[in-house]
Amino acid sequence: MTNTRIFGYADPLCARAGSPVDFMISVEGADSVSASLVRVIHGDENPEGPGYVELPVDLPVPALIPARRQFTEVGSFARAEDPGGRLDGLSSFTLFAHVFPTAPKAERQQIMGRFAIDRTMGFGLGIDPDGHVALWVGNGSEVDEIRTEITLVPRCWYFVAASYDAATRQAELHLINCVNSWNSRISTVVPFEPDSWVKETLRVVPARTGGEASFKLASATAFNPVRGHHGGFLYNGKIDRSGVYDRVLPRGEVEALVKGGAPSPDGLVAYWDPTANLAREGVADLIPDTGPLGLHMHGINRPVRCMTGFNWKGEESYRLAPETFGGVHYHDDALTDCRWEKTFTLSLPDDLKSGIYCLKIAAGTGSDSIPFIVRPKVPKARLALLLPTFTYLAYANEHLSYEAPIAQAITAHTPVLSEEDLEYKKLEEFGLSTYDHHSDGAGCCYSSWRRPIITLRPRYRLPAMNFPWALPADLSLIWWLEKAGFDYDLITDHDLHAEGLSCLKPYACVMNGTHPEYYSEEMMDASEAYLREGGRLMYIGGNGYYWVTGTRSGEPHCIEVRKLDTGSRAWQAEPGEGYLASTGQKSGLWRSRGRAPQKIVGLGFTAEGMDASEPFERMPDSFHKRVSWIFEGIGDEEPIGDFGLAGGGAGGIELDRYELGLGTPPHTLLIGSTWGHSDNYPLVSEEVTYAFPGRGGTQDAQVRGDMIFFTTPNKGACFAAGSIAWSQALPCKGGENNVAKVMKNVLNAFLKEGDLPGAQYTGDEKLWR
Amino acid sequence: MTDTRIPGKTYYEIGQRPQEITLKVDGAKPLHRHRLPFTRRHLLKWRSRLNPKTLRQERMLADKKPLWWTLALGLLLVSAPFLSNSALTVAAVFCMFSAINVLWTLIIGTAGIFSLATLAVVGVGAYASAALNVYLGLPWPLMFVAGGVAGLVMGALLALPSTRLDGLYYALLTMGVAEICRVFVQQLKPLTPMNGSINNVQGFIPADWALQRPGLLLGFAGAFVLLLLALLTFRIVNSERLGMLLQTAREEEAYAEAIGIDYRRARMQVFLISSAGLGVTGAFYAQYFGSISPQVFSLDQLMVLFAMIVIGGLGRAEGAVIGTALVVLIDKGLLDLGPLRILLVAAIMLAVTLTTNNGLTGIREQFRGFRRRRQSEARARRTEKGGEVMPEEAIDINDKQAIYYRRFDKRLRDRLKALVTPDVIEEHRQKPLGQHSDALSRLLNYFRRGEVADKYAIIRQAGNFHSYKIVAFSGVRGAPPRLVDDRIYTDINEAYHAVFLLRVNDLMES
Repeated sequence: MTNTRIFGYADPLCARAGSPVDFMISVEGADSVSASLVRVIHGDENPEGPGYVELPVDLPVPALIPARRQFTEVGSFARAEDPGGRLDGLSSFTLFAHVFPTAPKAERQQIMGRFAIDRTMGFGLGIDPDGHVALWVGNGSEVDEIRTEITLVPRCWYFVAASYDAATRQAELHLINCVNSWNSRISTVVPFEPDSWVKETLRVVPARTGGEASFKLASATAFNPVRGHHGGFLYNGKIDRSGVYDRVLPRGEVEALVKGGAPSPDGLVAYWDPTANLAREGVADLIPDTGPLGLHMHGINRPVRCMTGFNWKGEESYRLAPETFGGVHYHDDALTDCRWEKTFTLSLPDDLKSGIYCLKIAAGTGSDSIPFIVRPKVPKARLALLLPTFTYLAYANEHLSYEAPIAQAITAHTPVLSEEDLEYKKLEEFGLSTYDHHSDGAGCCYSSWRRPIITLRPRYRLPAMNFPWALPADLSLIWWLEKAGFDYDLITDHDLHAEGLSCLKPYACVMNGTHPEYYSEEMMDASEAYLREGGRLMYIGGNGYYWVTGTRSGEPHCIEVRKLDTGSRAWQAEPGEGYLASTGQKSGLWRSRGRAPQKIVGLGFTAEGMDASEPFERMPDSFHKRVSWIFEGIGDEEPIGDFGLAGGGAGGIELDRYELGLGTPPHTLLIGSTWGHSDNYPLVSEEVTYAFPGRGGTQDAQVRGDMIFFTTPNKGACFAAGSIAWSQALPCKGGENNVAKVMKNVLNAFLKEGDLPGAQYTGDEKLWR
Repeated sequence: MTDTRIPGKTYYEIGQRPQEITLKVDGAKPLHRHRLPFTRRHLLKWRSRLNPKTLRQERMLADKKPLWWTLALGLLLVSAPFLSNSALTVAAVFCMFSAINVLWTLIIGTAGIFSLATLAVVGVGAYASAALNVYLGLPWPLMFVAGGVAGLVMGALLALPSTRLDGLYYALLTMGVAEICRVFVQQLKPLTPMNGSINNVQGFIPADWALQRPGLLLGFAGAFVLLLLALLTFRIVNSERLGMLLQTAREEEAYAEAIGIDYRRARMQVFLISSAGLGVTGAFYAQYFGSISPQVFSLDQLMVLFAMIVIGGLGRAEGAVIGTALVVLIDKGLLDLGPLRILLVAAIMLAVTLTTNNGLTGIREQFRGFRRRRQSEARARRTEKGGEVMPEEAIDINDKQAIYYRRFDKRLRDRLKALVTPDVIEEHRQKPLGQHSDALSRLLNYFRRGEVADKYAIIRQAGNFHSYKIVAFSGVRGAPPRLVDDRIYTDINEAYHAVFLLRVNDLMES
């Protein structure tokens, strides 16, 4: 029996009823897949809850969909737009670039050139497997190479130039060190002697490649008879300004180029200057050619822009000194778009129920569930569940327990893997999450839905925690809403980002998912405006409104975040590289930009731990008539949520705290808090100024999750229970439990028009409880 | 440098690098690298590198063999005019036998064909060219061509069975061929009066110079050129395309075949090239001595040649030459010793086979390996597994922080070991997650912070929620974890505890 491998993704991830959804499917070992469509109600298979629940969907889906193997271009590079072949068949030439290699001793890497690997045609300037700079040329049958005597030191800026003289076949390599006090890993105190200048007469004259290769930065052209042309010899590191002359430059002119000034126009074919199109609002994938022919470069898989260049002098932002931010970082494992062919399109009927749907496909031994989210064509319910799709993407295909040595220390237990997870990890074809590092150690700042994503499968459990996370966790909320009989519409971060306030406005009440961590400015603004204009928000998650996130306008599939300076960060952007290339904004924590989450929902991130969750206890304020209705049917001393599918409690995983100093509205009532966390819940780093012992759950009062309530203008209100585990307590005991009771009390009040219960009290009255 | 060591104190050697002469490089000046004509190779393998410890450039001769070759052959050439007549003959014989052995090394070493018909090929070349010269008056320069062609034909005949027969059987077959040649020549009617020999061969040495000083000098010069040509052939065949193909095949035949290397064909080519070379050597042999006798096919002559290769070291040109030098010196230079010299050769051969891995030329590598082993044994006696870094190790660690980590880790483990008690293990068994006693927290935190490679994890078995096995991570992206044992745990807390026990076990054993 052949081993069948099936993978797929939906584009868009979130669609409106009445619109089409495209499915990109790849099958190895079969030429068609059987398909069925389901609406998923619950994902977590933990026997303590309802288990996996799906409903059949009455929609015509072809029983067999023809499909084929699709290939993924992994790795980022840039390709020149050169229809006239001006960069092909150069006889005498000089290639030059400022480079910052990050992994020079791995495999052969091409910095720039037009080289067809399988045909051995063309020319390429790059790094050989031992770490020497080399120029290779191929005539269609033989390759010849000149290389520098010395190897490159990782993470230092260099200027490299390579020339070839067709008449004498003499090749020349110049390697000139550009390390200064600012730009590299090391400074000028190192007795560093990295320059090299080599001349050698080669035996081979480079051949014209024609259609066999294209001129690229950070890649050569590989070929496979089944797959066609794709990138090879991928380069890891930054390339700043680069260019091509159609003549051999004498040493004097080479030395003039090192300073990065405008190149002499005599014989200049192309000059790619990444700083030329850096705009305040960010930058696209195009690297402009400011030379005479305009042979612009197009980035594939989003080479990372707005990075510090060879001439950087410590400015924090590319907005302040764009001419010093010519760095473009290329990675051999970057993936932002699989660019698979569409396998089939599903037209969603106008009246399709809003929900999380899965196209289940199978053939032979393989199967996949491709999730997509459907929102109604027009708002139908009074309640909207806002699914944090930005967060879903941020964690997409994460590798934490496989690669981060500290992951087990953070979660405080041993990871629990699954077989399907291993299959995915063995393949390593579908990219990284914003929690992972590229192969050269740099953090991954992009994540996209245009690829198969295992962490979105409804039954998936995050190995590091051994419970569902993000979409699979949010299904517990959906199951409970269905069970409790509340009508709801699903909307997503992407909708909120695109539409702003008008996305929330039609709803009397909006509820967050378990972990709305990644927020764009548009989403922050819309959430704040919604509350200000009388909306009622239930923030029932942990660590929300945290990272400044962006998407490039018109390209919602790919989010960008730069983790920097503070916060629980899987990596840290290099100095000067904390601004989003998608929007031009400074990334990092919203808190660092004056918009702590407390200012919108009253709570903000304070501690995390994954060993055990604890129940909430009522706080004295909860007995006041302004809020006591929330606790109707709940005893004074009754622990709320001493059960749950995430850690056995309703208060845990990631916890948020009330803090007036960070902007919790002054009239907020602290109505409940968790108690009894272990020392595996340490206070988060953004709260730590001086480090001293005893910041764990058993010793620090700031390690807790809070439950709060405050009113907003125009009869609006916010109820918040700052814990990721909260929603995963709802399915316990058949959905009849005191967490559900609190939810029902709040929802019933929030969905009712007019004044909220207790609105007649201000807090100054004499009351008996 | 003066020795400042205090007597009586124990010292240990630090640092590994052998004394090496390095040159300074100026990166601001052009470095012209010149190639040998028609190749991509440079005359000498000058290489510079960035010393990872100092980030300074150093230039050194990465391959010093050409230097030794030039020195040794130059010495021989320069001293030749000052040698006595008999020594000159010995030197010429040495050159001839070296040439034969170098070509033979190509067959045995590079092609990996265990042929013992080497002297038979030489003999056929010699007989064919001598017969043509004596009976048909072929001028001497064309004798080399005739010898080469004869060698090639003989080589082709011998090559055919080599694909069908393995090792020992093929060696026996080639020995048989040599014997057949000998018997054939001896029984050939026209040669019977000369006892199978062909005499009065007119060679490159004029007849009136024979056995005179100028004749001997010219003979030596010819033999020397012959050796140079053999070495050149070896260099071109062994280190260029053919040799590289065969080197790949030697490591893994199936793999070589899979990537499209036709190693059988390459072997045949090497065999034929060497045979032609041996034929030419045969023609030279006949000219040098002015005659050729069936003795060339004899077993004892072959065994002496074999002794040379074995003593020198199989598979290397320098081995063939050094072995030949030694044996020829004993065999032809110490004639006074009589039959004792054969015993001496045998004794050396025995000693070399018993004590070295690959002849005299392998001694250097063998000694280095021996020294390394002794050093690491000495270190192992002074240290413990996972213990602190010693000064001689520290030299090789680029990230000096790793040295502190080792020290810290060692001392931390010693403290943690004392915390492992039955009570602590029982505490974990009862409650693997959550708040623990100070001792258990410290142990767990140490385990959880460890490196990913070989770190334990649990894997849920497909189709059953509460069914777990224990695995360990590879630490390499894309490489799956390995199964630690096959036992299935049906309670997640049992699995957590099993992992804990494994880790405690690892700690106590470290």
